[in-house]
Amino acid sequence: MTDAADPFEAIKVTFFQECDELLGDLETGLLAIEAGSADDETINAVFRAVHSVKGGAGAFGLEDLVRFAHVFETLLDELRAGRKPCDPPTVKALLRASDVLADHVSAARGQAAPVDEARSAALVAELEALTHGGAAPAAIADVLALPEADEFGFRPVAFDFSTLAAPEPAAASGWRVTFRPHARMYAKANETALLLRELSRLGPVEVALDASALPDLAELVAEEAYLTWTLDLAAVVDEASVREAFDFVEADCDLTVEALSDAPAATDAPDSAPDLDIAALLARATAEAPVIESAPPVVEVAPVVPVAAPTAAATPAPAAQAAVTIRVDLDRVDRLINVVGELVIQQAMLAQRVIESGLARSSGISVGLEDLELLTREIQDSVMAIRAQPVKSVFQRMPRLVREVGEMTGKRVRLLTEGEATEVDKTVVERLAEPITHMIRNAIDHGLEMPEDRLAAGKSGEGTVRLAALHRSGRIVIEISDDGRGINRERVRGIAVSRGLIVEDAVLTDDEIDNLIFLPGFSTADAISDISGRGVGMDVVRKSIQALGGRISIASVPGKGSTFTLSLPLTLAVLDGMVVSAADQTLVAPLTAIVESLTPRPGDVHYVGGHDAVILFREQFTPLIDVGMVMGFRDAALTPSDGVAVIVETESGARAALLFDAIQGQRQVVIKSLETNYRQVEGVAAATILGDGRVALILDVDAIVANARRRSARPELKLAS
Amino acid sequence: MPAASTIHTLIVDDQLSMRSLIRTSLQQLGFREFREAADGEAGLREMIVKPAHLVISDFNMPKLDGLGLLRAVRAHPPTAGAAFIMLTGRADRELVQRAVQFGVNNYLVKPFTVAQLKDKVEGVFGPLT
Repeated sequence: MTDAADPFEAIKVTFFQECDELLGDLETGLLAIEAGSADDETINAVFRAVHSVKGGAGAFGLEDLVRFAHVFETLLDELRAGRKPCDPPTVKALLRASDVLADHVSAARGQAAPVDEARSAALVAELEALTHGGAAPAAIADVLALPEADEFGFRPVAFDFSTLAAPEPAAASGWRVTFRPHARMYAKANETALLLRELSRLGPVEVALDASALPDLAELVAEEAYLTWTLDLAAVVDEASVREAFDFVEADCDLTVEALSDAPAATDAPDSAPDLDIAALLARATAEAPVIESAPPVVEVAPVVPVAAPTAAATPAPAAQAAVTIRVDLDRVDRLINVVGELVIQQAMLAQRVIESGLARSSGISVGLEDLELLTREIQDSVMAIRAQPVKSVFQRMPRLVREVGEMTGKRVRLLTEGEATEVDKTVVERLAEPITHMIRNAIDHGLEMPEDRLAAGKSGEGTVRLAALHRSGRIVIEISDDGRGINRERVRGIAVSRGLIVEDAVLTDDEIDNLIFLPGFSTADAISDISGRGVGMDVVRKSIQALGGRISIASVPGKGSTFTLSLPLTLAVLDGMVVSAADQTLVAPLTAIVESLTPRPGDVHYVGGHDAVILFREQFTPLIDVGMVMGFRDAALTPSDGVAVIVETESGARAALLFDAIQGQRQVVIKSLETNYRQVEGVAAATILGDGRVALILDVDAIVANARRRSARPELKLAS
Repeated sequence: MPAASTIHTLIVDDQLSMRSLIRTSLQQLGFREFREAADGEAGLREMIVKPAHLVISDFNMPKLDGLGLLRAVRAHPPTAGAAFIMLTGRADRELVQRAVQFGVNNYLVKPFTVAQLKDKVEGVFGPLT
């Protein structure tokens, strides 16, 4: 997508990346202003964000973006200068303007449909009205016109090279080294040629030999030193580097190092000096400027107006030191993650070999291997941390959504976010946006009541939607809750019955009824609206969460509201698994799905309809699935009492017992995509490489259970007793 | 007629894309020696450690703005003689007046073309080779 040949295209890509950050800063700042927690620097930062977007847009000729940003910026400038109040209606307009600005950026980037012109124009009018108090605005066309260079009668001040007190060394400057070895230098087996070669590493060296001290051959003493070299080094390096080349012989020669031409000895200054200078200079730079008594002669056109002295406000308060970051191509990170995955596997293989070799646990190799394992785990964690991103990037899109949905539904909504800094794998973050968006829409559209209904129910007219992220036992948990009316269980139950999802006389707990909304086929037809409808039901939300290895649940209290809880793995690259065997195959079951395991006693297993086995587990009949059979590893069923039953729970909460031959142990495995390397296989989520080098398939527990259900006579809901 | 390749330039702007844009434009004019800083304070630090011949600085930056950087550079004898070109988002008379007061050599309004940048630089250094 980037034309590598055009450097400006690459810069444009950078610009759009910066726009994302700037738009984020803008929204954050505006929300702080709305919350009343803004200081002058916040307004300044907001202004700067819009200003920077405009500046970059201008450079790349994105005219629509420039036009809109200009109107936006003009109003912000008024606010910044204190000429307009930052009252609630203004802030609301600014927030909407930031939404439209984001639309303009997306459109300019070619990522989204063209901007809704009517909306944009209406907002431009609104911003202008706020800026000019209703008076006719200045023509926007002026913005795009490049000003005349000498608009203010400005005359450039010519640069005089001689006035630069300590000019930087010109490119040609360098050092002159005079080098006269003493006899003892040679006696210590030092070689001038090697020293010259060392020096020439710093840059091109011009060598002049002074052999004038060389006596006639008859008088020559072979052990004596007679030669002197003059070496001109053309390199901008500091003196110490030059002297370093002669480090070992300095005591055994005459050595002078002097700067060539005007090269300053800038590096001779102690390192602390710049700090002292900076503090003093900053103090001067921010001190009161003298008021201009008369217009400076170069500003001929300007009327003689005293320019307000810049006050302390002109200099922003020192902001917190921004974190130092580098931008790294994602491919590189992924390659690193891949290699670390291989390392983990290799380490496991090595450990296996050591065990097989019968070495004592206390042997040096075993101990060393354990340390290696710890280090490997640490490397893995650190590498995963590189891919980790705060959920902020998703969370910060939500205020806009809440504003828009609130406007459409006529509901008053306050969004609370918590744990924005919680980090999770980048892929997880990206794929969270859609389900969260959907659930927030739902929460406002279905969950919250109209203001009058809320007031009648004794609640505040403004509803609250809370979006929170937190880490809990190695997973990330995201909660979306509202303080609305809660799930209407009668209605949900009615819909489920009418869709044939449950039998009419099914006895369901409240919790089970609430979870019906996740069932495929629980059409929300009755509830579809412009906002949350869009043909997407909660089953789709659940599917996308499951695709991330996560699960979703709901808790609801009538009249008090509902809470959706998403639980997701921190990374998609490794998995805690139970290594099991079925027939001759080694398989991995995700640990998160496993409830417990047991050895079935002959009397525990029953056969329904002659072939469907069920096992009595905690006084409930649970389907027993012979994994070796369903995966086609063997033709004859395993006698249950010869194997191990692993009780698993699917994402929908359904339980089943998977029958394996044996359990080998628990292990962290590196996930290798089967689809990338082979193709998708029913019942298999991915593959991994075990310590002994064999490939093991990672089971897709949900698919296996669902298949087994489909195969049996009728999909029987766990809910029906 | 100074050779563009001999002029050491310090580019100060809080936006990476802007710095890249200025650097790439200057490269097209034959400039070869660049350093960059992301705000006025970092720019000042760069100047003190190693003065540049030319500073091209944005005005509106966090920490220390372009005007503050200009004043600090002028107040420090080893850097006082450096050429200073201020970038502004728009032709703001008051800003230009203040910049002139503090000894700016030239100013350039964003957005700019490579040709405009050349004009501004040549306005300070004379025709470049």
